[in-house]
Amino acid sequence: MSRLLSTARISCTAMIFAVASYGCVGDDQTDESRATVAELNSPDIRPAGHYGYGLDASPEEIAGWDIDIRPDGVGLPEGSGTAEGGEMLYENQCASCHGSFGEGVGRYPVLSGGEGSLTEARPEKTVGSFWPYASTLWDYIHRAMPYTEPESLNDDEVYAITAYVLYLNDLVDYDFELTRHNLTGIEMPNRDGFYVDDRPDVNNELCMQNCKELGSVRITSEPEAAESDSDPADKAVVVPTLAGETVYQQACALCHAAGLADAPVPGNNEDWSERLTLGRNVMLENVLSGKGAMPPQGGLARFSDADVAAAVDFMLSQSRN
Amino acid sequence: MLRKVAAEGEKLPVEERRKFLKNGLVLAGGVLAGAGIGGRTDAAENGLPPNVPSWTRSLGPGVLSNPYGKPSRFESHIVRRNVPWLTADRIASVSFTPLAELDGIITPSSLVFERYHAGVPDIDPEQHRLMIHGMVGRPVILTLDDLRRMPATSMIRFLECPANGGMEWRGAQMDALQFTHGMLSCCEWTGVLLSTLLQEVGLQKDAAWVLAEGADGSHMSRSVPLEKAMDDALVVYAQNGEPLRPEQGYPLRLINPGWEGNTSVKWLRRLEVGDKAWYHREETSKYTDLLADGRARKFSFVQECNSVITFPCPEKPLREKGRYEIRGLAWSGKGKISRVDLSFDGGINWRPARLNGLVLSKALTRFSLEWDWDGGPALLQSRAVDETGYVQPTYEQLRSARGTSSIYHKNAIHTWRLHEDGKLTNVQIA
Repeated sequence: MSRLLSTARISCTAMIFAVASYGCVGDDQTDESRATVAELNSPDIRPAGHYGYGLDASPEEIAGWDIDIRPDGVGLPEGSGTAEGGEMLYENQCASCHGSFGEGVGRYPVLSGGEGSLTEARPEKTVGSFWPYASTLWDYIHRAMPYTEPESLNDDEVYAITAYVLYLNDLVDYDFELTRHNLTGIEMPNRDGFYVDDRPDVNNELCMQNCKELGSVRITSEPEAAESDSDPADKAVVVPTLAGETVYQQACALCHAAGLADAPVPGNNEDWSERLTLGRNVMLENVLSGKGAMPPQGGLARFSDADVAAAVDFMLSQSRN
Repeated sequence: MLRKVAAEGEKLPVEERRKFLKNGLVLAGGVLAGAGIGGRTDAAENGLPPNVPSWTRSLGPGVLSNPYGKPSRFESHIVRRNVPWLTADRIASVSFTPLAELDGIITPSSLVFERYHAGVPDIDPEQHRLMIHGMVGRPVILTLDDLRRMPATSMIRFLECPANGGMEWRGAQMDALQFTHGMLSCCEWTGVLLSTLLQEVGLQKDAAWVLAEGADGSHMSRSVPLEKAMDDALVVYAQNGEPLRPEQGYPLRLINPGWEGNTSVKWLRRLEVGDKAWYHREETSKYTDLLADGRARKFSFVQECNSVITFPCPEKPLREKGRYEIRGLAWSGKGKISRVDLSFDGGINWRPARLNGLVLSKALTRFSLEWDWDGGPALLQSRAVDETGYVQPTYEQLRSARGTSSIYHKNAIHTWRLHEDGKLTNVQIA
């Protein structure tokens, strides 16, 4: 009940939602902005706190998860680190994937270089050549790095590694000390290189007849592998051997699970002790050719010898302990 | 396949031949049903008419042999696959949906393409929480039970990685439908509208963006404009009728219908409301579209109208000349598909296809057209139009507007080259 009362304090939002908007007014709204009865009875209009589920998130709880950093510096914690101080951290924590100079190992991301390459045929999009904000670097290192151990670095270490990656891109000096207060002042070279999506940027016509000249169509590219004579349909069909337990359930369990017609029950040592002395191969042969009440292959010709062997092995595995 | 089995079988002694055919037919079982030809030559040992197959003369496994069901073992080739050279490892990587093997518009949960930045977290739902805070009236921490108590909404929507087909910008490269278009799926998603949650916590003045963040090791994060959050964004706990799969964000994810898949943050743990975008790594370094002039589009969210022929395709060649139903998928992040046209001559002439079954907004839509193949070469294309009137563009148009370094949002008209032997290859044409 106390929760419902407390949520009434933010009932300003009820009015706003009632007119299907998501803006809101200031904090000083009072009770006259409470939803009316008619509004409450509308299935689409509910005041904030209508359900009242969940727990209030305390500042401490929020602080533990609220890790995001913005370009204006909102979210950055106190702390500092120099490029010099970040060098060994980088070498130990980052270089195995990103390379000692940010050049990237294998297909792991390249962090440095690429200046002026964005208009080239093979652009190199790095921190220095492409990233618009230094805050993104701090956020991502803290959020997701080191790759195998995210959130293991303390804030000073994140400042130091961030400074070092900026240094690898010639954006700060080796002795530069990065802090909460100067990070937003770092101007990334490509900060003005982005603009908000303005698609659609193409306008195809709905032509139906004679849209191109006859004979003008030509193939401009084809995968290299297209020359091989491999048939994808052939490659696609692979039916593996059945698991022994599956064969057992389908072919053997009807008699063996219930011990019908003297069939030995898996797991029953009394049934199996004498048979086990025959050895696996003799037992397998008996199953394949049939024995007593048991028809060849346990009666199911659709199973291969390998399937039957897998079933025998499964039953033996149940019976040896 | 069957012809090959039969031809090789001819060379063997009778007894060996029977064994070979038996094994061969088991191997070809998956193809047999679809091919409908070639199975009549030697039926003495099989279950084809007038014989009766073994499974008709025996008992099968009983109930609960598979408490959680699985496909026939003869369909074991229908799996997600990856392209090893695309990514440095399999932890931050992608796999592709086998579109050639699927019918209808729903992608089975097990076959929805995967995209991870730090692998799949193994989340205990009892220990999972959704925190909503920032510029809200009441910051809250919600359990899954709390979310399931709220009004539930279900919607069938496609989910596509914006890099789908991104390997083709500079030329045809992947020779299978699975790899040219397989970062695509469509499921029924069930959860709570994000607008309901934001209404519940109340928004402060100047609220304009919502940061969505995952509980995986990469803490995947994207800034979502409040317009979308209040429109049709869904906080999802169920997929195709059952709890989300771990690969798809169990126990909780965001779905931004029609938008690039990366914004539909999986393993959702936190929503923060703010007045500005965050410009995190996945909306600056990645998921921006670099253009020919060196500038890049940011917040390029919508997956524009696209389509592809799913039969025939490299994985599903034609076996003989004659009549076929050409089939495919069309979709648009801006609404419903209004029409699809097919060309068999590389875009000189087009014929309207039929839209089949459900035509839903921001969902995969089936199209088909009967066509008589004369056994000659052909260039097969599909061209979709959505309800905004946008016509799926050509490669030429896309490249002239964007260059070839965009990586994302390639929705060009796709061409399959049909060869005289019935095989198909991926080509680009002018």
